[in-house]
Amino acid sequence: MKIFVVDNGSQWTHREWRVLRDLGVETRIIANDTPLDEIRDADGIVLSGGAARIGWESAKLGNIGEYIDKGNFPILGICVGHQFMAMHYGGSAGPADTPEFGKMEVEIHKPSPLFKGLPKKFTAWESHNDEIKNLPKEFEVLASSPTCKIQAIHHRMKPLFGLQFHPEVEDCEYGEEIFRNFIEICRDFTAKKK
Amino acid sequence: MMLMFNVEKFVKEETGRLRQKINEKAIIACSGGVDSTVAAALAKEALGKNLVAVFVDTGFMRKGEPDSVRRMLEKIGLNLRFVKAEDEFFEVLKGVTEPEEKRKIIGEKFIRIFERIAGQEKAKYLIQGTIAPDWIESGGGVRDKIKSHHNVGGLPEKIGLEIVEPLRDLYKDEVRKVAKFLNIEVHERQPFPGPGLAVRVIGELTKENVEIAREANAIMDEEMEKAFAEKKVSKPWQYFAALLPVKSVGVHGDLRNYGYMIALRAVESIDGMSASYSKIPHEVLDRISVRITNVLGKKVNHVVYDITNKPPGTIEFE
Repeated sequence: MKIFVVDNGSQWTHREWRVLRDLGVETRIIANDTPLDEIRDADGIVLSGGAARIGWESAKLGNIGEYIDKGNFPILGICVGHQFMAMHYGGSAGPADTPEFGKMEVEIHKPSPLFKGLPKKFTAWESHNDEIKNLPKEFEVLASSPTCKIQAIHHRMKPLFGLQFHPEVEDCEYGEEIFRNFIEICRDFTAKKK
Repeated sequence: MMLMFNVEKFVKEETGRLRQKINEKAIIACSGGVDSTVAAALAKEALGKNLVAVFVDTGFMRKGEPDSVRRMLEKIGLNLRFVKAEDEFFEVLKGVTEPEEKRKIIGEKFIRIFERIAGQEKAKYLIQGTIAPDWIESGGGVRDKIKSHHNVGGLPEKIGLEIVEPLRDLYKDEVRKVAKFLNIEVHERQPFPGPGLAVRVIGELTKENVEIAREANAIMDEEMEKAFAEKKVSKPWQYFAALLPVKSVGVHGDLRNYGYMIALRAVESIDGMSASYSKIPHEVLDRISVRITNVLGKKVNHVVYDITNKPPGTIEFE
């Protein structure tokens, strides 16, 4: 089981690596301009967050667009990774009406394999200046917080998931479960490929 | 999250790597904190007599710390060089108030001292107890700089030593597990930043200001220890007092007083990368406040408690 963490410069990129490692997954942090050919054998990838203000600095996100289009594996985008996914499909992201930092209650509206076993409401950990403004029609919203409507998304047809909050952070409730669920999603996907 | 970190495997692999990389003399920078002491114990396992530990008394250590650290490091059996550098540090930091500048000057001073000692010892390697948050928060590449940790972002461009960092991928909770595994007493110690009280005095570092911060930290430590013993509060992940460069008015024995403000901070965390402030009972905060304002008399007349989580705050103020 191999899941790479694509580094977009988050304070918590290395935490994503740590959680995956501790869950027994083979993992490595890779630069976001790593050629797709070098990661084709991955069972899944996690797109980290990052300090880049996505609207005008998205060039910093390297080859991620190509991973989304041509990588045949599930993707979990976190924060900037989540925003970039929406933008890549023609949506938009920009400065948040209410930037969120630290504790925030998130409510799940739609079931998803990513949220299997989670309660309807839980306390997540946030750290974002930007947010998704317009979600492309290929995606649907899974969860929201009082001050940010698009806290979690998934693609209607493909195994692409996005989270505005940070499940890799110790203080985030059910973070471990979300990662376990993503690992399951990756495992199922690889099994079906064979 | 309660996930597993394999300590035994880590120690075996890392001592193996150190042995393979270093086959001559090395020095290790050792402040007596959890990280550098664990790195020293690991390096000693790997290098034996080829290792010299260097402790620098910067003048920013906590009360009684230089002596207690010396005893602890000698107990581990480290070959120790003890460097008194208080005047050197105060000299280069004169008039500096900007926290990044402070951290960089401290980082460079440390390195120059280590180069000097390495020259005397004929060592080529400098081992450091750098852990993951140090290089993550120091930024670089695609990552923004939050603060320059003195041992990473605070390093000068040219260094006459090769730096080796065996704990680079670990967080504090994992370092504590390694400490326990290696049976060194440091695992219970509070996290204390390398620049020490220099980042707990906000603004300019004068000997007087550092002394105020030292005393306030000592009082908070004592009162917290007392409260743990009485089971009035459980031990926070980290707690400390910082001197704020804000002056305010007090009334002492019918006389006007104009003094500094002390901020108390205590947080709960696992790895230092996110944290929530500790809910310390008012009774305990009250005792700390009364003692600080009485012992420090005219120097301090207000004490505040910080109720900020990380993010948006960081744990130390600078």
